[in-house]
Amino acid sequence: MKELLQKHKSYLLTGVSHVIPFIACGGILIAIALAYAFQFHYVDAHGSPDLTNAPVFVQNLLTIGTKAFELFPAVLAGFIAYGMAGKPGLVPGFVGGFIAAMPQIVGDKKTSAGFLGALIIGLVAGHVVNLLKKIPAGKMLRPIMPIIIIPIFSAVPVGLLMLALNHPLAQIMVAMGHFLESLQSGSQIVLAMALGAMIAFDMGGPVNKAAFFFGAAMIEQQNYAIMGACAAAICTPPLGLGLATLMNRKRWSEEQRESGLAALGMGMIGITEGAIPFAAGDPFRVIPSIMFGSMVASTIAMLGGVGDHAPHGGPIVLPVVDGRIMYVVAIVCGALTTAITINLVKKFTEKTVTVQGGKK
Amino acid sequence: MKIVAVTACPTGIAHTYMAAEQLEKTAKKLGHSIKVETQGAMGIENKLTEADIEAAGVVILAVDIAVEESERFERVRTIKVPVQAAMKNPEAIFAQI
Repeated sequence: MKELLQKHKSYLLTGVSHVIPFIACGGILIAIALAYAFQFHYVDAHGSPDLTNAPVFVQNLLTIGTKAFELFPAVLAGFIAYGMAGKPGLVPGFVGGFIAAMPQIVGDKKTSAGFLGALIIGLVAGHVVNLLKKIPAGKMLRPIMPIIIIPIFSAVPVGLLMLALNHPLAQIMVAMGHFLESLQSGSQIVLAMALGAMIAFDMGGPVNKAAFFFGAAMIEQQNYAIMGACAAAICTPPLGLGLATLMNRKRWSEEQRESGLAALGMGMIGITEGAIPFAAGDPFRVIPSIMFGSMVASTIAMLGGVGDHAPHGGPIVLPVVDGRIMYVVAIVCGALTTAITINLVKKFTEKTVTVQGGKK
Repeated sequence: MKIVAVTACPTGIAHTYMAAEQLEKTAKKLGHSIKVETQGAMGIENKLTEADIEAAGVVILAVDIAVEESERFERVRTIKVPVQAAMKNPEAIFAQI
């Protein structure tokens, strides 16, 4: 049982590892285009960005970013199935994930099964293909198994299932949105702390992405506060650790000080992974410190009414954030919290620390 | 002994390379020759050739995700461990050889 779960975890991670660059590319491009819209007042009557009259290049950036982002359910499901069943998994995985990205109307909201749908259908697709592979094929049939039989006989059931699941899953997403809107400030703090802790916990891994996708999905529901809290929490682990190496240089080895500068750069563009080289060497001190800092950042952002219109985090999205001052305050407080905490709990560097990440 | 290894972590920007470094260091210390292929965000780097794998006594897979082109290793004895194990305690992996 445990082994089975572990295997499924590695399938999910295979999908996540392929989808990360899509998210970063899409998120950053969308952020740039929206930043332009806000900066030069391309907004509609409700104050939402509207690029209809903006320069074509900016519109195109938004289109490219949006398309990269829209691909994510397809790529995620496709590579989950690939991790499980190899090449034959790609067709049902991609098709199923692409169906999960189809817009759904629930009440007056437009949404999709998105991330949740892609996770489920990717695993289903992998299993279906693995079953089909077991069918004994004669000499005649063998060459057409991988290019005709398996693709068609896996894509049809997987596609039908996803089409059936689309609406119920979209309803769950909308219900989640309604629930969040109904939260009072007390439960808002709890939610913000949970998001912050998740974002920092595995620095870009599946737990981090679960919180992130949640925030990104809520942007679709016109609830920007969740992504706002995530965005602040996303950048404080690398920023805080980088800051720590600057604040007290004696505590850190030369290699770590170098990684510190790299981490600051990664933090500025909202890449939580920049914290990994530090956490790998000393997880029990580093991970609690960065979780603490991210929780502080997300809570301040949530209470300060910060909203983020782009599915990305860090100082780079500042132009598309509502409540910019509080956003900066949240990031600064979070980074300082992490930096001070880690410098308090960290032992002075032994000369023989074995694992340091100099490499990118 | 001649050893080949593959490292791959989900994000593919830090752990993959750190694990590779640890495996190389440890192999050197224990007097083995090793070639480590990394399957990170850049794709396959320092790719193991057919000849590398043919000559190797064992392949170490330090991976958290599915290995690319895993069919290459079907005929070689394989030790599969999580990436963390290669970073934290590489000696223990070599002890299994």
